[in-house]
Amino acid sequence: MSGTGVRMKIGLFVPCYIDAFYPKTGIATLELLEKLGQDVEYPLDQTCCGQPMANSGCNKDAAAAEALFVKNFARYDAIVMPSGSCAHHVKDNFDAIPQTDEVRHVRKNTYELVEFLHDVLKVDAFPWAEFPHKVGLHNSCGTLRALRTASMSELGEPFFSKPMDLLSKVRGISFATPRRPDECCGFGGTFSVTEEAVSARMGVDKVRDHHEAGAEYIVSADTSCMMHQQGCAERAGVPIRFIHIAEILNGARA
Amino acid sequence: MSSRDAILTRLRDNRPDPAAYSLPPVARLGDMDASRARFEKSLTLLGGQVLAPQAGESLSAAIARRFPDAKIVCSAVPEFEGTVRIEELGTPQKAADVDVLVVRAPFGIAEMGSIFLSEAQLPTLNSAAHLTQHIVVILSESTLTANMHTAYIERPEFHAARYGVLMSGPSATADIQGVLVRGAQGVRTLSVWWEQ
Amino acid sequence: MKVKPVNHARAAEAFIKDTPHLTFHDERLWDLRQKRDQQMHELPEWQELRTLASQIKEHTLANLPEYLEQFEANAKKNGIHVHWAADGAEHNRIVGEILEKHGVKSLIKSKSMVTEECNMREYLEPRGVVVTETDLGERIQQLDNQMPSHIVVPAVHKLTPDVAKLFAEHYHTDPNDDDPQSLAWSQRLAARPVILAADAGMTGGNFLVAETGTFVVCTNEGNADLSATVPGLHIATLGIERLVPRMADLGVFVRMLSRSALGSPITQYTTHFRGPQDGSEMHVVLVDNGRSHRLGMEDFWTSLKCIRCGACMNTCPVYRRSGGLSYGAVYSGPIGAIIDPTFNERKYSTLPFASTMNGSCSNVCPVRINIHEQLYKWRRVLAEHHELPFVKREVMHMAGRLMGQPKLYRAAISGTETALGVLPRFALYNWLNPWGKNRELPHPVKQTFHSWYKQNRLKTKKKGEDA
Repeated sequence: MSGTGVRMKIGLFVPCYIDAFYPKTGIATLELLEKLGQDVEYPLDQTCCGQPMANSGCNKDAAAAEALFVKNFARYDAIVMPSGSCAHHVKDNFDAIPQTDEVRHVRKNTYELVEFLHDVLKVDAFPWAEFPHKVGLHNSCGTLRALRTASMSELGEPFFSKPMDLLSKVRGISFATPRRPDECCGFGGTFSVTEEAVSARMGVDKVRDHHEAGAEYIVSADTSCMMHQQGCAERAGVPIRFIHIAEILNGARA
Repeated sequence: MSSRDAILTRLRDNRPDPAAYSLPPVARLGDMDASRARFEKSLTLLGGQVLAPQAGESLSAAIARRFPDAKIVCSAVPEFEGTVRIEELGTPQKAADVDVLVVRAPFGIAEMGSIFLSEAQLPTLNSAAHLTQHIVVILSESTLTANMHTAYIERPEFHAARYGVLMSGPSATADIQGVLVRGAQGVRTLSVWWEQ
Repeated sequence: MKVKPVNHARAAEAFIKDTPHLTFHDERLWDLRQKRDQQMHELPEWQELRTLASQIKEHTLANLPEYLEQFEANAKKNGIHVHWAADGAEHNRIVGEILEKHGVKSLIKSKSMVTEECNMREYLEPRGVVVTETDLGERIQQLDNQMPSHIVVPAVHKLTPDVAKLFAEHYHTDPNDDDPQSLAWSQRLAARPVILAADAGMTGGNFLVAETGTFVVCTNEGNADLSATVPGLHIATLGIERLVPRMADLGVFVRMLSRSALGSPITQYTTHFRGPQDGSEMHVVLVDNGRSHRLGMEDFWTSLKCIRCGACMNTCPVYRRSGGLSYGAVYSGPIGAIIDPTFNERKYSTLPFASTMNGSCSNVCPVRINIHEQLYKWRRVLAEHHELPFVKREVMHMAGRLMGQPKLYRAAISGTETALGVLPRFALYNWLNPWGKNRELPHPVKQTFHSWYKQNRLKTKKKGEDA
């Protein structure tokens, strides 16, 4: 339950690939925020945050998407999304359009789901959640090194992990420890097609690492990484399943 | 315009505002332990050894025991004879015949197990420290300095020597499939003899 | 003729197909990263050292002309001949003239990335100078006629049998003896006579100290010391950005260099050259070769802080799986990807895209270069300078327009929209095709989230309002 009793008017952003391929993740995010007493709306005219174009260097081509994003979300107290890399784009790189007060409001109040639950709502229990499985946590590079939702191995800083904090409140869950916990999985947006060989190799190495550590599931706050990893695991025959953290916190059992 | 002046001009034109980037004061950080124990631990980690005397053994006896096959033992210190003195070798290339070189280091660095040598310790023949097969370094515990910061701050040798090398263990390489090999191009072993 | 961009993706694909080499390469460099982490954990002041190193370097770069003049004055006072080279060609000419004046036929040298930048060996050899690399890894690469694939461990992409084969060819050793100890010994035996007979020695350098006119060379094999102390002529080539102001600043850098590079506390040899040894001559060539230009690039000048430790390469998951040679440049890996385009924008336009921008490189960098942010910025610059492949540019252009129009976007993902404009569908699918080469596609679903929401929230909400 929310530790703060905050109730906010939330705009839910569901990134394009979640909308099209992983609607369950969007549904779980919505239901979870509702269970936590939030007033959530999904603006129907949303498309994309502009990240794919901007990350490819084509920043001008991101302008229309960014403008639309602001038009859709400027009226909310908080904009929440089940995607670390999209949140990173909006917060840190969203500059294809003039930085008006509206734009600044949107950028400042955009949250990736885990950081919103952990830092804003300060949720201290998920009484409905039970996940009797061993999971390997995959922190996307966007959540890890840009949004800083967990400690980074390169810095030698004291251990912390916001997703792990949340997942620890789920009954029955246990964690596998891969050998290279914060190595990039190789998705990288258009990198996954322009550098197909390296991307796929990184992906298969990643899923094997989790599998060998005993994980039944890979859980992540980023569906894009998992879409790539799942594709690699299925092709290479690595028996491991994938689930978004929103689904576990919302009470999915498998 | 000479290349020198052209480069300097371009640098002046292109550089960021110097006023925005001040120089921090000299750093003096880290573990200040300057003990022999720390030095020996670091030395060993880098593949160096301590030549420890057996019951009352002299340096020359210890060298004879440690390097029984050595034919040419070259001395760069007054108290030890060896078979040849460093001043007698003549050319830099002649040092290639030396099996063991005995030399005194003016100081050591506990953090790294490093010893310092310069032309003052290797009269006229810096090459001897690298062409010899093995090197024995006489070191006094009282000259140990804690770490790289204290070494560079305190030791005048860095400002005086024309050639000054910090040797931290023997020559080494891991360039072939990551396998560590000690004794690559320079000395195959480095041993420290503690001055009484 | 226009230069063709390096095809990193294709070279990487070839590298990945060779599983034994790939696996070793990845594991070896990951192990160096792990050893680096251990060293970091032993120094509670590690992050403070990184900050200091960054500040010292930024200050030095902002005051580079003054510090270079100070270095030059002090070095000259100590009897060092100081030369300035605007580019690689001038560097080679300077070195060639010094060697010619001394009648040098045989030159031994230790590793220097700057001489690689200048293609110095290719210049000297037709002029009758035999150049012998003395660093083991560099020598292996020289014998194999390849560039170094890593700035610290040049032959890290090779396995022992590869070296055994090369040595058998050149040193007439047993091709079946692939024990690294005996191979290293063969190198020692082969190098000694060359070192003893050499007319001149050449080194690179890791640091220049303005205060004293000193240059510092760090090696593990001691080969730089041999190159410098055995022949009577020592030439050192250094980039002008190698400077630090004070001798005492070296403490910060020497403490981090080898820890970052190899996870060892210090290189076996850290040598300070402040003047020629008795009876010898010493020259320093200060090389610009694009550095003064880079200093003027607002987003990229801090790449000049680099101390060439290679930690960014060791941690880079892309580098570990593609090998240094796949970058087709003197500098590979993350640091290469941000400095190579300053040498040739078109040729190296692909390199900033050979990255997932995961950010691990910036975290391990001992001088705090924001490497992954510079990669991001380079992508923008390259797009603005029209250095992106046509199809990619068009795909992004199309996607950008689509994402600004919700109705068209909805129609497109429901598959009812066929007239996407500029780019025919087959071109888009061709571009996306590689996804399926080693990966399955996401599973199709019956309903998008958008449609589910309309059905389950908007309708029920309406009902609620009606009641």
